[in-house]
Amino acid sequence: MRNIYLIARREFLSYVATWGFWLSLLSVPLFMALGFGMPILIENSQPTRYYVLVDETGGRLEEAVFEQIDRSREDQAEQVREAAREILGDNPQLGAAIDNSMQLDNDGYIRVEAGTTDLNELRPYLTGDAELETADGPQPLFAAIFLSEPVPGRVEMAYWSTNLTDRDLRRDIRDALRDYMQLRHLVENGVDPALIEAAEDLEPVVRELNPERTDEAAEVTESERLPIVMGVATAFGLWIVIFSVVNMLLTAMIEEKGNKVLEMMLASARHHEILTGKLLGVAAVSATLLIFWGGLASIGGLAIQQLMAAADIPAAEILAALFDPALLGPAIGYFIVGYLMYGAVFLAIGSLCETIQDAQTLMSPMMLVMMMPLFLVMMAIDAPDSPIVAIASWIPLWTPFIMLVRLPQDIGMIEIIGSTLGMVVTALIVIWGAGVLFRMGALNQANQDTVKSWFQFGGKKKAAS
Amino acid sequence: MSETILALDGVSKTFNGKPAVRDVSFSVERGQITGFLGPNGAGKTTSLRMSLGILTPDRGTVSLFGGPPRPAALDRVGFLPEERGIYRKMKVIDVIVFFARLKGVAPAEARRRGLQMLEEFGLAEVAESKVKTLSKGMAQKVQIISTLVHEPEFIILDEPFSGLDPVNQNALEQVVRRQAEAGRTVLFSTHVMEHAERLCDKIVLIAKGRKAFDGTVAEALGQVPRRVTLEIVSDHDLSRVLAGKGEVHREARGEHEVWIVDLGPGVDAQDILKACVDADVKLTRFEPVRAHLHDAFVHLVGREAAAPEAETV
Repeated sequence: MRNIYLIARREFLSYVATWGFWLSLLSVPLFMALGFGMPILIENSQPTRYYVLVDETGGRLEEAVFEQIDRSREDQAEQVREAAREILGDNPQLGAAIDNSMQLDNDGYIRVEAGTTDLNELRPYLTGDAELETADGPQPLFAAIFLSEPVPGRVEMAYWSTNLTDRDLRRDIRDALRDYMQLRHLVENGVDPALIEAAEDLEPVVRELNPERTDEAAEVTESERLPIVMGVATAFGLWIVIFSVVNMLLTAMIEEKGNKVLEMMLASARHHEILTGKLLGVAAVSATLLIFWGGLASIGGLAIQQLMAAADIPAAEILAALFDPALLGPAIGYFIVGYLMYGAVFLAIGSLCETIQDAQTLMSPMMLVMMMPLFLVMMAIDAPDSPIVAIASWIPLWTPFIMLVRLPQDIGMIEIIGSTLGMVVTALIVIWGAGVLFRMGALNQANQDTVKSWFQFGGKKKAAS
Repeated sequence: MSETILALDGVSKTFNGKPAVRDVSFSVERGQITGFLGPNGAGKTTSLRMSLGILTPDRGTVSLFGGPPRPAALDRVGFLPEERGIYRKMKVIDVIVFFARLKGVAPAEARRRGLQMLEEFGLAEVAESKVKTLSKGMAQKVQIISTLVHEPEFIILDEPFSGLDPVNQNALEQVVRRQAEAGRTVLFSTHVMEHAERLCDKIVLIAKGRKAFDGTVAEALGQVPRRVTLEIVSDHDLSRVLAGKGEVHREARGEHEVWIVDLGPGVDAQDILKACVDADVKLTRFEPVRAHLHDAFVHLVGREAAAPEAETV
């Protein structure tokens, strides 16, 4: 135990002392902050656009456009409110927040009057040669939009702008014009406008029910889907962590082999102690990362919980769904077994190789093995009962990832126990085999050619040098 | 009565059908410096690895401190492998402390001893430096310190002199002597006989995986015929003059004839000189040749077996 502890400790400290570790530690919260902050930053940093709208029909199209835009925004807000109600329950404060958000979106484009409707006079403002006097001071003109209807029923929009990428305004007005044209077409053909409005409001009442429950309890809510989302997220998270951690193990092993330290170590510790110490040391590194990230997430979660509690949102129910012990427990178990399985294999590969180039030959098939669960997890999101997914979850190397997605989806206990048992037994066999390979590799009695020779069917097996 | 620290009894090991060590038996006694000699690929490293339990013999038994080479016994052993290396990114003192702690030394004591040994080896100023900043010679010294810092009873050095310049070879010889003087048992392998000749109380010769000799240096040298080289300018036939004193043969003819005499039992160089003087032989050279371990090795195993193996095991 002493040697395992010392080797694990050395391994851990050697990683903690590197820049790479600190970059990894800070990268996740940094990228998360960027992920959340960037859209807001982009939104806030985007300059307010000033545009001129010239309606050559005398105001008819202009009125219709703004009416349609307002209606469209209200429809979007209602959809968001509806989705929020499904997940978070009915809450007036949330509704107000959504309305406010929609209003903020609207503030990006401001219509101004240029004092002229002539394009040639507007052109210097559009090209940046001159600036318009606005309530916010002199500003360049983002776009000039000319609406016309040269022949009845043929509405045209001329959109003048030097900005070729920001097309939101153009899209909004085009959509509003299209809706207006469709509505007018129906009205002109004798359809009552009230009837059209009523038709637009028509929507089926959909109730999703769980046959395992009765009466009111049978209603399936959106919050019940959260464990499935969590399962998928955990499976991907597990994959990312295992993938990055086993690569650490591989490079550390190759470095140690290259430094010729192993034989010195073998005079003090046995093979299994070195193997276990390394696995535990790197596991401690990943645990540190996960605890740090988890701590930050908890702080964030607490803050969100406070906000939700203040807004009278059923936070406890959501958090309970997110941190369901029925999912967290197996996730921890699958992580440990998955890490040990893949970690042992990558350590063994490292012990057979002198350089990363040597390792690449052996890594390729392992990479394929590791990539497969990613595709299967995606498949399992929509079709958890697919035979392919069900069979794949019995393949021990993939069990940790696929079962995390399938667990929240009410699969049979036999499948859970059977696949887990298969995974644990395979992990033990893999660790034992990796130990044998590690022992041979550490003393240069085997190398990557030895492994290759095992797969040379019908050919003469090469002896280890 | 001497205490046996290490005993190999009929040990054999085969790799991929190729025998590396064949039925080797020898022992190392407490307080002795034992040289384990043989050409490259003779099976020395494999034997040492089996001694430490790093490899398991296919046949035979290994006894370290009177029992199988268990992990607890390893704490009493300092091993310097042939393929040397240490953690390049660690600080010098941290490397030493790490290896000392693996051998059961308490952290504070490990640090104290490490700093003291660095001082003794003239490396005190690099204690806090990273190993990768050291020269090759300095790094090798750090590894030697890492091998000795836990004050092992038994020190095993696998080809310790390889890769060292003559100055450092000499320094290492001094280290080995000091360790022996401190009562420690030393076993080192080498294919350079001169080191063994200078250092060892006992040697074990191995060639092609088999033991060829096991005894003291003097006993090994005693296996080599003593020789005298003579150069004469007279017309004497020395095979007649020195008849009965050993094997005599002429190496070169001409104005200066060179004769080689392999001395017979009980005959020494003085007897040869006296016989020549009595016979009025005109000597221009009289050179008793001192045998070396290499000669003993070649004599014991033959020239072919003394040559390095093509493949090192």
